[in-house]
Amino acid sequence: MTGPVVVCTWAGEGEAAELLTLGRTVSEALGTDLVWLVIGVTADDAAETAKRYGATSIDQIDNNRVAASEPDATVEALSQNCSKRSPRMLLFSQTFNVRLIAPRLGGRLGSPVVMNATGIDAESGKLLRVTASAYGGDTQVVYEIQGDAMPIAALMPSAVEPQKSTAQTSPAVDVFEPDLSGVEERIRVLEPAHAEGPRLEDAQTIVAGGRGLGSPENFRLVEELAEALGGMPAASRPIVDDGWTDPSRQVGLTGKIARPALYIAAGISGASQHMAGCAASKTIVAINSDPDAAIFRYARYGIVGDCLELLPELTRAVQER
Amino acid sequence: MRIVVCAKEVLDPDAVNNYALSGGLAIGDDGRTITSSAIPRLMNAYDEQAIEAALRIKEAGADHTVTVVSAGPDPAAILKHAVALGADEIVSIPIEDAGIDYHVVANLLAAYVRSSEGAGLILCGRQASDDDQGVVPALIAESLDMPLISIARAVALSAGGTVRVTRVTPDGNEIVEADCPAVVTISNEFGEPRYPTASMTIRARRTPATVVTMSDLGDVDLAARVTLVEQSVPIVQGNCEVIDGESPSVIARDLVRRLHEDGILS
Ligand SMILES: Cc1cc2nc3c(=O)[nH]c(=O)nc-3n(C[C@H](O)[C@H](O)[C@H](O)COP(=O)(O)OP(=O)(O)OC[C@H]3O[C@@H](n4cnc5c(N)ncnc54)[C@H](O)[C@@H]3O)c2cc1C
Repeated sequence: MTGPVVVCTWAGEGEAAELLTLGRTVSEALGTDLVWLVIGVTADDAAETAKRYGATSIDQIDNNRVAASEPDATVEALSQNCSKRSPRMLLFSQTFNVRLIAPRLGGRLGSPVVMNATGIDAESGKLLRVTASAYGGDTQVVYEIQGDAMPIAALMPSAVEPQKSTAQTSPAVDVFEPDLSGVEERIRVLEPAHAEGPRLEDAQTIVAGGRGLGSPENFRLVEELAEALGGMPAASRPIVDDGWTDPSRQVGLTGKIARPALYIAAGISGASQHMAGCAASKTIVAINSDPDAAIFRYARYGIVGDCLELLPELTRAVQER
Repeated sequence: MRIVVCAKEVLDPDAVNNYALSGGLAIGDDGRTITSSAIPRLMNAYDEQAIEAALRIKEAGADHTVTVVSAGPDPAAILKHAVALGADEIVSIPIEDAGIDYHVVANLLAAYVRSSEGAGLILCGRQASDDDQGVVPALIAESLDMPLISIARAVALSAGGTVRVTRVTPDGNEIVEADCPAVVTISNEFGEPRYPTASMTIRARRTPATVVTMSDLGDVDLAARVTLVEQSVPIVQGNCEVIDGESPSVIARDLVRRLHEDGILS
C-alpha cells in the first residue's frame, strides 16, 4: 500500500473541514489512508472533526519552535514528519505562512509544489492532476504531476465545499516530536507584527471602496457606512497604492482574503485579482456606475449608479432602522 | 556586495483581465497557451519592484552591483528594460519552452548564481502575475541553502552584511533580519519603481546581455515536476438582482429592507 494522504493545518487557522474533504477524496481515489497533521494544540473537538471527515489518524506537532516566527524549524519538523509517514501527497490550506513554508519544504524534499490549488483529480494508476487558479483567477490551469517525489499542494480558501464522510473512523492522536536540536534559526524577528484591532479576515460585514470613489476624501463615505453597519472598511489595490487608506485594508489576491456575510463593493470594477479576496462572501452588493462592470457577475444585489450619492443614502437608511 | 535580481517576462495581466472579462481570451489548439496576439509582454511588475529595491540599496551607499537574470524564451526586451532602470549587468538564460516547469526555472536560476560569482542578496518579485505560484524564490533559497524572507515592503543592508526587512503580514508590519547571503521577495507595498530616463534607455540599447548556456551551468536538474496541461477561462455564474428606483434614497432603503428580509442585517 502506498503512503497516506497527509493534510496539514495549524491549530485555529485555515479551513480544516475543506482540506479534510479534499484529502479524503484523494485518499479514497488512491485507496490509501488519510492522516491529519495538526501543528499546535489540537482543539478538544479535533478528534470529533477528524472522525466526521474520515481521517484515519491525527498527528500532532506541539513544539513552540514550530511557529511562523521560526520557518527553519517549521520546515525541518515537517520534513521529519514526511520521512516518518512517507506520504503519497501532502496538502495544506493556503495561508500567509503556508505560502512561505510549502515551497521551501518542496525545495527541501525535491517535491512538485502547486499553490493556489482549487481541486485535485486523482485516479489510481494515473498521474495526479492539480487544478489551480492563474492570472489572479482570470484563468484556471491544470498541472500534471511528474516524477516520484511526494507532491505538495496548497488549497485556496473556499475552493472546496466541506462534506462529511459517510464512513466513520476512529482516529487516534499521535504526538510527533521533531528533533530540532540541529536547527539554528536564520531569521531573527526584531519587531513582531501586532494586529491593530479587528482583522478583515474575521469581519462579518465589510464595505469596500475602489477607484470609483474618485478622490481620497471620499473614502470617508466607505468608513461611515461600515461604521453604521458595525463592519469594517476595505479597499481595492489601486487606492491603497495611492495612499487613500492603509495597506492592511487591501482585499484581494495580494491582500486580505475575507469571507464576510455581507460585502458591499462601491466603485470597484470586480477584477479577478480583487475578487480573489472576497468572492467567498455570502452576499455581495455591488454599486457601480457601469452596468457592464464585472463585479455584477459576482453580486447578489446590484445598484447601477454613482457611489458618491448612494453611500451616504445607505448610511442614512441603515441608521434609520 | 553582488545583488542578483530574478525577473520574468509575462503577458500584461491587465490586458489578460480585459480579454477574459469580454470573453475574448484565446487559448491555442494545445489547450493551454494564451494566444491573443495583441496582449503586450512585459516584465512582471513585482520583479520591477525587486529591481527598484536593489537600486535603492545600491544608492544607499557601499559598493554594490546589481545583476538582473532572466530565464525564458526571449528575455532580451525585459533585460534591456532592466538596464534602462539601472542594472549594471544583465544575464539571459534562453529556454525554448514558454510553458516550462517553474521548478526547472528555479534550478536554472540557482545554478546560474552558483556558477557565476555567487550573490550576497537575491531579490525576486513575490510572485509572477501569470501563474501566481510564487514558489521560485523559495526553491532557489533551498537549493542555495539561503534563508528566505518573503513579502517585503522595505529592505536595507547593514555594513556588517545583514539584511533587514519589513514584511507585510496579515497582522501588520514585521521587522526581521538575516545574515547574507539571503533571498528576499518584494511585494507591491514596496512602492512604484522608477521610470527609465532617456539617457539610460540609450545606454540600454548598447548594453549586451551575457548569454548563459546549459554547459555554463554545470549539473542542473532539468526533470519536470509539473507540466501545464490545460488552461481555460472559468465561467462565473451571475445571479445579480438589480435594484432600481426613482432616487438614491429610495434605492438605498429598498436595499437595506431586502438585506433585512434575507436575514443578512438584523
Ligand atoms: C498580480 C496582481 C495582483 C493584484 N492584486 C490585487 C489585490 O490584491 N487587490 C485588488 O483590489 N487588486 C489587485 N490587483 C489589481 C486589479 O487587477 C485591478 O486593477 C484592481 O482591483 C482595480 O481596482 P478598482 O476596481 O478600484 O479600479 P478600476 O478597475 O479602475 O474600477 C473602478 C470602477 O469604479 C466604477 N466607477 C467610476 N466612477 C464611479 C462612481 N462615481 N460610482 C460608482 N462606480 C464608479 C467604474 O465603472 C469601475 O468599474 C492586482 C493586479 C495584479 C496584476
